[in-house]
Amino acid sequence: MAASLRLFTVLGPAQKFQFRIFTKLVRPLSSGSNQYDYDLIVIGGGSGGLACSKEAAQLGRRVAVLDYVDPSPQGTVWGLGGTCVNVGCIPKKLMHHASLLGEAVKGAAKYGWDVPQETKHSWEVLVGGVQNHLRSLNWGHRVALKDKSVDYLNAYGTFVDAHTIKATTRSGKETILTADRFVIATGMRPKYPQMEGAREYAHSSDDLFSLQKPPGKTLVVGASYVALECAGFLTGLGYDVTVMMRSIPLRGFDQQMAELVIDNMVSHGTRVLRGCVPQQILKQASGELAVTWQRQTGGPGSAVDADDSDEFSTVLLAIGREPCTKSLNLDVAGVKMNESTGFIVGSEEESERTSVPNIYAIGDVLQDRPELTPVAIKAGKLLARRLYDGATEHMDYVNVPTTVFTPLEYGCVGLSEENAVQLHGEDNVEVYHAFYKPLEYIIPERNHQQCYIKMVCSRQDEKILGLHFLGPHAGEVIQGFGFAVKCGATRGQLTSVVGIHPTCAEEVIKMHVTKRSGEDATVTGC
Amino acid sequence: MAPKLVHVDGFDAVVKALDEHKGSSVVFVLFCGSRTARGVSWCPDCVTAEPIIHESFKKCPDDHVLIHCTVGERNFWKDKACIFRTDARFKLNAVPTLMRWGKPQRLEETQCTDPGLVDMLFEDE
Repeated sequence: MAASLRLFTVLGPAQKFQFRIFTKLVRPLSSGSNQYDYDLIVIGGGSGGLACSKEAAQLGRRVAVLDYVDPSPQGTVWGLGGTCVNVGCIPKKLMHHASLLGEAVKGAAKYGWDVPQETKHSWEVLVGGVQNHLRSLNWGHRVALKDKSVDYLNAYGTFVDAHTIKATTRSGKETILTADRFVIATGMRPKYPQMEGAREYAHSSDDLFSLQKPPGKTLVVGASYVALECAGFLTGLGYDVTVMMRSIPLRGFDQQMAELVIDNMVSHGTRVLRGCVPQQILKQASGELAVTWQRQTGGPGSAVDADDSDEFSTVLLAIGREPCTKSLNLDVAGVKMNESTGFIVGSEEESERTSVPNIYAIGDVLQDRPELTPVAIKAGKLLARRLYDGATEHMDYVNVPTTVFTPLEYGCVGLSEENAVQLHGEDNVEVYHAFYKPLEYIIPERNHQQCYIKMVCSRQDEKILGLHFLGPHAGEVIQGFGFAVKCGATRGQLTSVVGIHPTCAEEVIKMHVTKRSGEDATVTGC
Repeated sequence: MAPKLVHVDGFDAVVKALDEHKGSSVVFVLFCGSRTARGVSWCPDCVTAEPIIHESFKKCPDDHVLIHCTVGERNFWKDKACIFRTDARFKLNAVPTLMRWGKPQRLEETQCTDPGLVDMLFEDE
């Protein structure tokens, strides 16, 4: 109670000293070192930070979480829970689902449903439903922190030294707090290019899910999974959508799969411009945004051979994200980061430990780690158990399954084909693949051309190195197979499993055609 | 001046009270078991929660309203078809339930007896 009383008090330097003595006197002795206000302060109330703080508190430690959302250039802010809850996984999956529903309604007539030829979608109703759910999650996180006696401060944390932090609230009130240890879990935010009009007129994924009016004709800049997912569901909701990419789609993912994702999006109605870089966004008198871009038909890096332009109602920038580390004053604490990217470099012995022994980092801010909510949660919990429960288990960042929620979902675990070939050599890699047709696509005559599965194996022992699934419910499909891959399963073990008929997932088990054989990979019949 | 505390009994009365305060101010609703002949609620958590909630509510701004609704006697409430449980506006699972009207903030059962959580509900926007 003493700690929480003091949190909201503004103190001058002299008073601060007295006050600290006072709190030291009244605070009951606990297992931690009492020379600090807290055993642990977590900076960032996202998935990783919340998980870590709650775990530490449950292990009897005095914990505080600082969470503060810098408004986006368009002024969007949100509540406790971080990117995933507010402007990431949760709203995008709901909007993806809204788009899939539209698709299902289109095909329903062929299944006998009497549905109107023209269906209308209300963006306002969708945003209302999504935002309402997000608000309930924000509240749920606040209740959970309170339940576990974690102090929550809606304040921006900046280091003063390796054991001291300054917490600044929106109204400018400053509080100095000390802790034995810190966890940096500040995550990432969208990047903005140096382009006229970008910050003034463009939106990012920070703004899209709470957009008050329908986005209308939309330009999505970028080919990250964020870009493609947003472009996918906006197209599905009926908007005219153009994706503008500079070079390759889904960098870091298997490129054959990425190209199939793009093919599917194009067949689904998304316009895709490649080798294009936007130059300028101007607001017209009509309120529309005039975008000018350079086109390089010879591919990335080739000479610019044309300038082009068009008008859009919304420009969504999704060119990448950058870690929120630059204003933490990491240098005064002595924490080393990659100067050019802002990522925090974990130590060799313990991925989450920074260059300062009592300061840790989890989640997206860590260099070379998957930027995924469940990864941050797991890393945060394991870290708290190592710090406060004598546990020894470390986060295993290998073979993390994930899914891109484009209209046709792409789920994968393990190595891409190109990475497997690079690591093991082409002669040592066997790739099984199949083009399959989901049963439920047949009656409504839906496009199945990109429904494709690929299993990348070691040629010697048939160990599965990577599994890639493009099709409906890929997230649900790949989760279970992720377990097999994590356990080091071989193709032989996988094919020993009996399939569940009729499903798309059974096609993973039935695959038998290798790329090397050159045989037709199309699945026929049962 | 002080924030306004309104006592109502039963479904129709709470609907009417909500209607009266529509759009004008920040409204909270507390649902508790009705008092028995002994003068206290049949629901022990309600007995504990009520003074805590009333005390915390005193710190709210003057334009805030707390509608304290008694849901009825125990048998009426325990019926799974009880209108407080089935009505889409309330969808109650438990008494006591304290909610911010029109917003997702809600506390149930022993959460309502935690002064920290109750303060938080009255403060959270």
